[in-house]
Amino acid sequence: MDSEDTTIDTGVPDAGAHPVSRRSTLGGGAALALLPLAGTEAASAAAPAPLAAAPPDPGQRLLLSTKVNRRDVRVEIDARTSLLDLLRERLGLTGAKKGCDHGQCGACTVHLDGRRVASCLTLAAKTNGREVLTIEGLADGDRLHPMQQAFIDHDALQCGYCTPGQIMAAVALVKEGNATSPARIREYMSGNICRCGAYVGIVAAIEDAAAAMRSGGAA
Amino acid sequence: MPAQLPAGQAPAAPFADRARFDARDKVLGRTHFTADVALPGMLYAMTVPATIAKGRLTAVSTDAAMAVPGVVRVLTAADFAPPKPPPAGAQGPAAAPATPTIVPAIGYRGAPVAMVLAESIEAAIEGAEAIRASYAPAPASTPLITSPGATREAAEPVEAGNAARAMRRAATVVEVEYESPAQHHNPIEMLSTTAVWQGGRLTIYEATQGAQMVKANVAKAVAIDPATIDVRSSYVGGGFGQKGAAQRQTALVARAAMLTGRPVKLVLPRGQVFHNATFRPLSRHKVKLGADAAGRMIAVEYDADHQQSREGQFPPEYHEAQTQMYGIADYHGTTANVRIDTQAPGYMRAPHPHPASFAFEGAVDELAEKLGRDPVAFRLQHDAVADPVTGKPLSSRFLNDCIREGARRFGWDRRDPRPGATRLADGTQVGWGVGCGAYPSITTANIATLRVSADGTTRLALSGHEMGQGIRTVIAAALLRAIDIDADKLDIRIGDTSVVPQHITAGSWGTASALPAVEAVAAKMTAAMAELLAGRTVTGNLHRRLAAAKRPFLEVEATQLAPGQQPAALAGLRAAGFALTGPAYPDFTTFSYIAHFAEVHVEPRTRRVRVPRVVSIADCGRVVSPRTAESQVRGGVVWAIGSALREETEVDPRYGGWLNNDLADYVVPVNADIGAIEVGFIDRPDPLLNAVGAKGLGEVAMVGAAAAVANAVHHATGRRLRRMPIRIEHLL
Amino acid sequence: MQPFSYQSPRTADEAVAAFGRAGPGASYIAGGTSLYDVMKLDIVRPRHLIDVTGIGGLDRIETGGDRLRFGALVPMSAAAADRVVLRDYPVLAESLWKAASQQLRNMATVGGNLLQRTRCLYFRNGTGNPSAVGSYPCNKRAPGTGCAAIGGLDRGQAVLGQSGSCTAVSPGDWPVALVAMDASVELLGPAGTRSLPIADLYRLPGDTPQLEFTLAPGEMITAITVPKTPAGRRSTYHKIRDRESYAFALASAAVALDMDGDRVRAARIALGGVATKPWRAAAAEAMLAGRQLDADLALAAGRAALAGARAGTHNGFKIELGARTVADALIIAAGRTA
Repeated sequence: MDSEDTTIDTGVPDAGAHPVSRRSTLGGGAALALLPLAGTEAASAAAPAPLAAAPPDPGQRLLLSTKVNRRDVRVEIDARTSLLDLLRERLGLTGAKKGCDHGQCGACTVHLDGRRVASCLTLAAKTNGREVLTIEGLADGDRLHPMQQAFIDHDALQCGYCTPGQIMAAVALVKEGNATSPARIREYMSGNICRCGAYVGIVAAIEDAAAAMRSGGAA
Repeated sequence: MPAQLPAGQAPAAPFADRARFDARDKVLGRTHFTADVALPGMLYAMTVPATIAKGRLTAVSTDAAMAVPGVVRVLTAADFAPPKPPPAGAQGPAAAPATPTIVPAIGYRGAPVAMVLAESIEAAIEGAEAIRASYAPAPASTPLITSPGATREAAEPVEAGNAARAMRRAATVVEVEYESPAQHHNPIEMLSTTAVWQGGRLTIYEATQGAQMVKANVAKAVAIDPATIDVRSSYVGGGFGQKGAAQRQTALVARAAMLTGRPVKLVLPRGQVFHNATFRPLSRHKVKLGADAAGRMIAVEYDADHQQSREGQFPPEYHEAQTQMYGIADYHGTTANVRIDTQAPGYMRAPHPHPASFAFEGAVDELAEKLGRDPVAFRLQHDAVADPVTGKPLSSRFLNDCIREGARRFGWDRRDPRPGATRLADGTQVGWGVGCGAYPSITTANIATLRVSADGTTRLALSGHEMGQGIRTVIAAALLRAIDIDADKLDIRIGDTSVVPQHITAGSWGTASALPAVEAVAAKMTAAMAELLAGRTVTGNLHRRLAAAKRPFLEVEATQLAPGQQPAALAGLRAAGFALTGPAYPDFTTFSYIAHFAEVHVEPRTRRVRVPRVVSIADCGRVVSPRTAESQVRGGVVWAIGSALREETEVDPRYGGWLNNDLADYVVPVNADIGAIEVGFIDRPDPLLNAVGAKGLGEVAMVGAAAAVANAVHHATGRRLRRMPIRIEHLL
Repeated sequence: MQPFSYQSPRTADEAVAAFGRAGPGASYIAGGTSLYDVMKLDIVRPRHLIDVTGIGGLDRIETGGDRLRFGALVPMSAAAADRVVLRDYPVLAESLWKAASQQLRNMATVGGNLLQRTRCLYFRNGTGNPSAVGSYPCNKRAPGTGCAAIGGLDRGQAVLGQSGSCTAVSPGDWPVALVAMDASVELLGPAGTRSLPIADLYRLPGDTPQLEFTLAPGEMITAITVPKTPAGRRSTYHKIRDRESYAFALASAAVALDMDGDRVRAARIALGGVATKPWRAAAAEAMLAGRQLDADLALAAGRAALAGARAGTHNGFKIELGARTVADALIIAAGRTA
């Protein structure tokens, strides 16, 4: 860990100087910053998840080691990359959507260590050593999660664009213990905007699914 | 004397409730929207927005951008030739000039002045930030409808009878001014385009309501043969009319793909969407309504105008759904464009009827109050059978049924009519309001091809675009009712110019324009199947029968014209993706109707307005998909609540452009803003419009509901608020 | 967004040391919900991000003893759900759960939230960059360029604490509640540790609106402490906004009452949504001391809280709204059981 920090230190430029030449970092070794692996065995885990094509030109590059939908992922990233863009553009997981890119709509909602977050405002780097769950990881193969089924049954969607974020938020809401009344559901789902206006169906779906989840449906 | 219509038919069995066709894929996150399309070697684009409201771009410095690692190329005005003019004899959208590409003339803040292409999103953004543009701003610009420099242009008036004479007979008159602000569609999906240039063909993936419109526009804008372009829009993440216009970015992305030989993807940031896409213009409504001594409405004088861009074509047709609302024979309606410096406004959900009904239903409410009449009873007294402007009879109209049923479910007869008289124990003011709406039923021609295969699959291709209204669901419902096929292997191919011509899907005409074609092509398939089997009795669904006949597949095509349309309309559809008609047809005219009842609660001191319940009853003819229809109406009511109480895009006249250009400060309703919305349908088929009897729904869903809310606020507080959105400070 | 280097130290001392080594352009990042947001808008361009959320031991909530102590890295959602906070200090719980959305509250920390940047539209949307299309002068963002909000669309701007250079509203709810409850912040920096009353963390804009906080370079917040008081039980955070949720305050009031029957022994009142920093309403508190609380007195106290407020062009309604918000908050708080 300390040695990794030393590596970071030598990469840090002086004030005012041109940043370390990004072209020289490619294969340059010394300036490639490594994220601390936090003492996990993530580095030696089994087969990494499939990656997209060759990574883009280097900026300040980081080697990220994370878990997405229960699969290990090791990927080189630009430090600026959001979790949302990592999922969508590098890992082919396009379920989470970009609706605003500023944490104002909730369409990008995923779970990080079991808690719902706005992935557009989460630095991908912050997921190092942690676990991400997206809509693609919610169903059990082709067996729908009770919340997904409830969304179908109550027509809690129209265009479907905000739907993955709504469902991820809804599943978390139930696990938080917030599905105690329609008013509470409305309040705690207000971080997910639906411009098609499917709110009435969404609340009904959550009430329905919460009962199923409490009585032993999927976690 | 209007022709006699056949008596209303008894309602046939309602269509079965069925899950939304694409719901499963959507809840799994498997549905591919435009920005989900990934292609090998894809470049990311980012446009650079102009920071002046009007003037000229004098120089663009790209060196710093090109030095950003990962940036591959920067497109500037130099990369674009002047566009092709529209072809001679073109109609509809094909006749419109191409959207400008990157050009030195800046007509509005946010217009693209350059486009950066890079290997990653981060590099594209960094490159775009590094572009330095120089401008020669115009000495003055006209940012508001009230600014000096605004140019007023009268447009088509609408006339029935002699309103001035009738108004002189009126014993009671209200004369009021209402205003509807500028608002933006803001579907959650931002404008997205991906273009691929390969083997001399251009494939464009775009979230659009008009794939063929996109094709025609790009062909003109980058001067290539439209026959070399395919456009695919299989799922749209919310349209509402925004994506029914040609977007400025498409040709830029197409050109980028052509110049680099690589796929190029652009997702326009929300702030740039505000500034480049169309929007609902600010409109002003001066309504004078007169009633005779018996309290019957007999005259309307109504002047409407709206803000318009310098070149914009979106017409101020605010009277389109008002002239036939209440059987008033004498109607004088004027319209005008007021041209200012802004991007072009356009069609946004119920573009004319929503703001017009806000004014008109408010005026009717004010007149009823002046006459001491209950607003529901007053409206019921004014049924209509014909449009006074064209004289054509209404093919179906069950508005009074909507009003009566809505009032019954809402409990209207318990209403204390005195404004401000109803309060809760904590001092909350309670108000009940009614507002009605109509929306024209327009129909397009359609071409459908249907292929049923022995392997169990079915492919139906026709004109349409799915943006959440559930068009695939109604198509599936109609098809599955007509022929026996495997519903799980049904592929409905719409929004794709490579299969059949694609009309713009907008104006609530999608369902009514698709269903007849579905029925026609299903009938052809049934006939073709019978011919194939030549009298043999074979059991099982169509796939089984084909297998038994040792035929891999059977494919048929059907075309469908709207009432009164000539076969030449199909040529228009094929050539230009344009072939619409209505609401006036040769022998009748058709509208959908709705009645909304809203309850509002106004906090005693801090004056927040809540809408705990709404009841909406709609007459959209035969309801083909009950589940998605109910969702449409709920969605329309949410839109109306947003319009009435939340939404306005604001202009600082010193700068132009839109100040609150994000989803935090452009306030759309959140879940906690919405209470109970009860929806009902008359579900009686229109006897003349099409064989199914279906009329449009997606926009009438919203019309009149904002007025219901405003009328309820008046009932709660005694304050008549004639401008949307109604905010706390208006009630303090 | 400009490139930056990123590191995630494991201890607070490492973080401070890393900040020192990194030099100009260094910035701590906690949840990132404010910082990453304004980086995307090209408002700030840090060269070195030091992620403090990996630091151990700063995420505990301690409710024993005579103070509540929140480690700076406690997520807002966790603090809002703490049983002691909910039961004994509703003003704190409400100020947390009425902010943002649960997604953002899971990411944002109680320490980081104290340093959230303003929502003024001319500040946020004025860099002319691809995400923020506008181009507006802003003394806070670019010192000396002017203030577009003054004389502009200022409906959301402050009526208290503004200057001729800046009228931007302090955006937070949690800081307002903490100011009402006389909280303190514990800081760690290159010069060591110190403690600060939270009200002293915030600056008025004056002529230097770009300086918002009194933190020294390299200082990070490590904890927030709140002296315990029975008045915590009779408290509320009342927030009025343009929609029911997921929006910043037009006007808000954090109120806690120490009561003897229906007589007010002492009141705590702080205002949000109306001022350039969390605003303690001492004059209103003084008016209430020793008096019997009723609707009229509550409104009078509310008006006293907004005394001295000055309207711009479109935000005058905030003065009346602010007063009524305080009044309603007082009645709500008084109605809670001790």
